[in-house]
Formats: sequence, C-alpha cells, structure tokens
Amino acid sequence: MKPGRYIILVLMAALLNIVSSCQNADTGIKPSIVVTYSILGSVVQELVGDRTDVIVSIPNGLDLHEWEPSAKDIEKINKAALVVRNGLNLEAGMEKSLDTAEKSGAKIFTASDHIAVRHVESHEGAHENEDGHHHHEGASDPHLWTDPVMMKAVVEALIPVLKIELGIDASIRAREIIGRLDYLNRQIADTLSSIPAEDRKIVTGHESMGYFSQRYGFNMIGVIVPGLSSQASVSASDLSNLKRAIQDNRVKTIFTEQGTSPAIAGAISDETGVKVVELNTHVLPADGSYFTFLKDMADTIANALTQGSRGQQ
Amino acid sequence: MFDIFIAPFTDNGFMVQALLAGTLVSIACAIAGTFVILRGLAFIGDAIGHGVLPGIALAILFGFHGIIGAAVSALFMIGGITLITQRSRLSSDTAIGLLFVGMLSLGVVIVSRSSSFSGDLTRILFGEILGISRIDILIQLGATIIIAAIAIICARPFLLLSFDPEQAEVAGFSVRLFHNIMLFMIAITVVVSFQTVGTLLVFGLLIAPAGAGALLARRIKAMMLWAAIFGIISMYIGLLVSYHFNLAAGASIILVAVSIFFIVFIIQNLRHRRTGNQKDIIHG
Repeated sequence: MKPGRYIILVLMAALLNIVSSCQNADTGIKPSIVVTYSILGSVVQELVGDRTDVIVSIPNGLDLHEWEPSAKDIEKINKAALVVRNGLNLEAGMEKSLDTAEKSGAKIFTASDHIAVRHVESHEGAHENEDGHHHHEGASDPHLWTDPVMMKAVVEALIPVLKIELGIDASIRAREIIGRLDYLNRQIADTLSSIPAEDRKIVTGHESMGYFSQRYGFNMIGVIVPGLSSQASVSASDLSNLKRAIQDNRVKTIFTEQGTSPAIAGAISDETGVKVVELNTHVLPADGSYFTFLKDMADTIANALTQGSRGQQ
Repeated sequence: MFDIFIAPFTDNGFMVQALLAGTLVSIACAIAGTFVILRGLAFIGDAIGHGVLPGIALAILFGFHGIIGAAVSALFMIGGITLITQRSRLSSDTAIGLLFVGMLSLGVVIVSRSSSFSGDLTRILFGEILGISRIDILIQLGATIIIAAIAIICARPFLLLSFDPEQAEVAGFSVRLFHNIMLFMIAITVVVSFQTVGTLLVFGLLIAPAGAGALLARRIKAMMLWAAIFGIISMYIGLLVSYHFNLAAGASIILVAVSIFFIVFIIQNLRHRRTGNQKDIIHG
C-alpha cells in the first residue's frame, strides 16, 4: 500500500472515531451544569444532588479573577444545560468565553443578579488620597459568598431555573439548604460575638470581605492590594495610608489571602507590629463544603481578633 | 519642602528599604548596563528578563528561593544561545528570540495551571519594591559586590571587547570567554533584581541610565558613574511620584529613568546643534 493511501485511511478512521464520540456525548444520560468556581459549585452540587453532573470550571484554589479557560473548558461551557456564574466581573478571565457561549444559546444564570449588590464605599480602606479622591467609589463587590444570607438568595433564585432548564425539582433540597444556611448564619454571629466592638476592624489582602463585614458588623479598615481584584499593583501612597490606618484604628490583625503578596504584608507587619494571619476567602476546604468554609472563616477571625495584638499566629 | 521630599521616607520604613535596595540595583545596573549598551547586548538582557520566569515558578513550586530558579534559567538560556549560534548558521538574535519566547511560554504555562501562584506572575515581572526585606537588601548587596568585582577584574578585556573585539584577540584575551563572563554578569543583575523592580522592568534600569550615561561620557568609568547617578535619582523620584500620585512603584521608577534618558538626549542634541552652528560660522 502506498503511504498516501495509508494516511487517508488513518484520517478516515480518526474522523469516524470523532463522529461516534460526538454521538456518545449527545446521547449522554445526564445533562451537566457548569459552575464557574468551586464555592458556588459546592452549593449547586448540594442543591441538585446526583441528579445531574456539576462541573466546576476554575479549579479550587486558583485565582478567580485571573483564571482563563482552556479550549476544553469552553467546550464544557457550550455543552452544558446550564452555566452558573457569580457575575460582577469576578470571573474576569472567563468573561469573554461566557459572553460568546451566551450569544450562541447557552443558558447562563448569574448569581449576583439575585442579591442586594454591595457597592464599595468611599470611606473604605486605605485607598483614599488626601484630596478626597476615591478611586473605587461605587464599584460593585462580587464576593457574595462571604455572607450566607446572600447565598440563601442565590439558592432560592436557582429553584425555578433548575426546573425550567433541566426539569429538576430542587425545592425540597433547597428548603433544607436554606434552613442550614440560616443556622450557619446564627452560628457565625455566635462565634463572632466574643469579639469586642472596638476590635471589629479588619485589614485584608484585597477587598473580599465586604458582604461578611456588612452582615456581622465589621469595619473594613484597609486592604493590602486596593481594588476588588488581586492583580493591581501597589503604590507607595496606598501602602503608607494603610500603615497609618492600621495604627490609627489600632487594628489587631492583618489578614492575608490567596494571592496576597507575602512581602508587602510582611513589610507592613514589621512596621506596625501587627501580626499577619492567613485567612481563606476563596478556597473550599478539604471536605468540599461551603458550610465548613464559612465556619472556618469565622473561627479564624474570632481567634485572631480575641488574642493579643502581638505574638502568636 | 520637607513634607514633599523627605517625609515620605522618614515616616515609612518600607520607603527607606525600597530606596536602599533601589540604590544597590542602580549601581549593579549601571555597571552591567554600560556593557550592555557598548556591546549591543540589549536584546539578550531583555530575553533573560523574560526567560527566568519558568525557573522562578518552578523554584517557588518546589519551595526553593526564587533566585536559585532564576539563576538556573539564566544559565540555561545563555548556554542554549551559545550552543545554537555555535552549531548552526543562525544569528545570535534568532537564538535569543527562540529561547526568549520558549522560556516565557513555559513560565506562563507553569504559572497558569498551578494554585501556588495566584497573582505571582505580575509580582515576578514587575517586582515588589515596596515589600523589600533586610535579607533582600543583603542579597542585593552581595550581587552588586560580585558584579563590581567582575567588572574590576575583567576591566581590560571588557574594555577591549566593548570598543575593539579584534584588538582583544590580538592582546591574547579569549573573546568567547569574556563575552560569556559579561553575559553572566548581566544575568546576575537581572536575576537578583526580580525581587525589587521585577524581571521585566529591570531591563529599563539596565539600559535607560546607562544609555544616558553613554550620551554624556566617552570613558567607561564616567559612563558608569553617570548611569549610577541617573539610576539612583530615578529610584528616589520614582518612589516619590508613586507616593504622591498614588501610582505603581516599579513602573513609576522606570518611567522616570526613561524620561531622564530623553531629557539628556534632547539637551545633548540642542547643544550639539548650537556648537555645530558655531563651527560653521568659524569655518565659514
């Protein structure tokens, strides 16, 4: 056999293979739901149980703002019966792919459409210049998962969508989850009640704790990297203002998050004598539960703010 | 006056640390940069700046200091470039370009699929001059001393290499050996500076002050002196600009350095034209 013919045969075989695998996918038993990030994915998974596959796009632990989908991830988005995203530009690196998918007919549920969106207030943080210029005034805060009550609203909004798009009746599971979210809310408030009012001040890596602070009465004194994303570059005035804010407000702890520069946090800590504590704001814990995630968050904050201002971490 | 020019530094320890590290980087860059300008090695300097990324990424991934990874990457690049230019008919800029994009892509691939790097890519490329620790300053001091020592020990061959490579061969110096030592020196400068101004921006500090120095002086030592002065001024003004106008620190510093180059360039040109005209008058 001539080599040319052989190549054609191989190509034809490959083509047949592709066609047949496509058919397999089309006639697949379960339609899938794609959720952009793991924390929301965990809640959606609890909501639908094993009645459908829940695929999380951004692997747990990767930067939500920066992550960009591969060709395979985009394929999954386009094939899904429903795509659940956070919105408010949280998934900045996915925005383009999601828009394209929506235009070609994908059904997209945006969680932030169903909550009372919080706007970054002008007095927040150390990113104010002396001349009163506030550069993040009014920006919408996407970090809705730090408040279980917001998550409750998302779960409620998902019920009819799951019914229409996938024919799944999730109302019983939803009622149960909502009950647990209410309980979680009380639990967290209880955990945090040990923190005296004058110590309810937090400094974080970036502006991720807005909904949490609003719900449980914390004052956000400043952030290490200003802006709602973790990728902006730091300026000397931001850092100097943060330092002053920490000292003026007698802040007890600097919380660093995934993506917070350890060098910058260390420099501020050295200068102010305030301890640095790692706070998980974006990553699901080992058991994959949103409930554990929030409980851990509350515990970390309560521990850090009820200890002395210096010393153990 | 005090509030504008001095207070930002006296009030903030991190500003002093930044200026200190920046001064050391400026001196290292003045020495290495002058040879970069004279030998036309700008492209390889840029390439090393980008090409160290995969090494830094892997080092962070496996728990080593980023500098070790950067050094390995830089050596790998220099070795690869030398190998390609010696074993093929391709010019060195093709070899540099190949390793440049290859290593950069490798770095991005490693960073993009690992959870250990949220936000680290920008930090590696643009540095963290406001987060300098004492150890960072000591490392930078060590590197600056090594670079100065290499420049002093190899002063004569480097001088010949810069102005008259054939004469260097005649004088009994191996052009290839000293060329590689020079590349090594540039690599140290780039590698160590990734903590301060970042591997991308260090390139600006390598060529802008040295370029301005080369416009002003004819002798290597004078060029280096000017370059160091311009570099340190850039650091100081850049940090002040970042402080008062709320701008990213590393980029502000490099913008000042490049601006200084253009100011020197324009002044030089205006002066030359004037002296040129005078000569015309005399001869006329």
